[in-house]
Amino acid sequence: MSATLEQHDTETTTSVVAEEPWRTIVWDDPVNLMTYVSYVFRTYFGYPREEAERLMLRVHNEGRAVVATGNREAMERHVQAMHGYGLQATVSRAES
Amino acid sequence: MIVAGRSGGEGVRIVLEAEEAMLLSELADQVDSVLLLGEADDPALGRLLPNAYPDDASSSREFARYTRDSLVDGKRQAAQRVRDATAVEDGDDTVVQIELEQSEAWGWLTFLTDLRLILAERVGIIEEGEDAADETRDDYLRAAYEWAGFVQGSMLEVLDPTDS
Repeated sequence: MSATLEQHDTETTTSVVAEEPWRTIVWDDPVNLMTYVSYVFRTYFGYPREEAERLMLRVHNEGRAVVATGNREAMERHVQAMHGYGLQATVSRAES
Repeated sequence: MIVAGRSGGEGVRIVLEAEEAMLLSELADQVDSVLLLGEADDPALGRLLPNAYPDDASSSREFARYTRDSLVDGKRQAAQRVRDATAVEDGDDTVVQIELEQSEAWGWLTFLTDLRLILAERVGIIEEGEDAADETRDDYLRAAYEWAGFVQGSMLEVLDPTDS
């Protein structure tokens, strides 16, 4: 029973993301400390430590990382919050 | 400077020499001024208030219109709180002790980030570890930049200790 429910939840989430293909992107910045960026990701998005550090390292190594996806309004809220923390963040539509 | 945990729970305790407190207070006042008086084309302001839509001028303007005031307010408040907490009377050479709750500590962390973004812009820090061309002119700003990073790093070690 619970397996069926979980399956259903996953499908719902997937379709929502597909319909609202916007992204919050955080860009690498030589100024910000890696520990700070990771702490922001954990505190603001609620990511577990490992996920926050993975995203932080992706920003650091690849120059940017998608840190959230969803509808445009939500992405703008995230980007505003990132700017509040002093991170370089942009909103963009996901390439389909 | 000493950065340590608080005996009574979460947050952080910072002890600054009078000289360090005066420096930080002065820097916080300058950050506040940049936010209040900065010209629109000041690249340092561009670091604090980045373009959310680099490829879409109209969305970019719209985003700025809706978010700029509250971002500036938040950043100015954080800077003013640091300035006030570190204010020392002239000639007072005792240490300054500051106790910050977790939420107040965030104000310090974001202020220190904004400060470093401004200083980095002023001394032209492009790549990590790369020396600026004009070292003598930038010595003071560079030292402040490094020191602010040291304060922030020390705070993070207390607020977010890693298990290892």
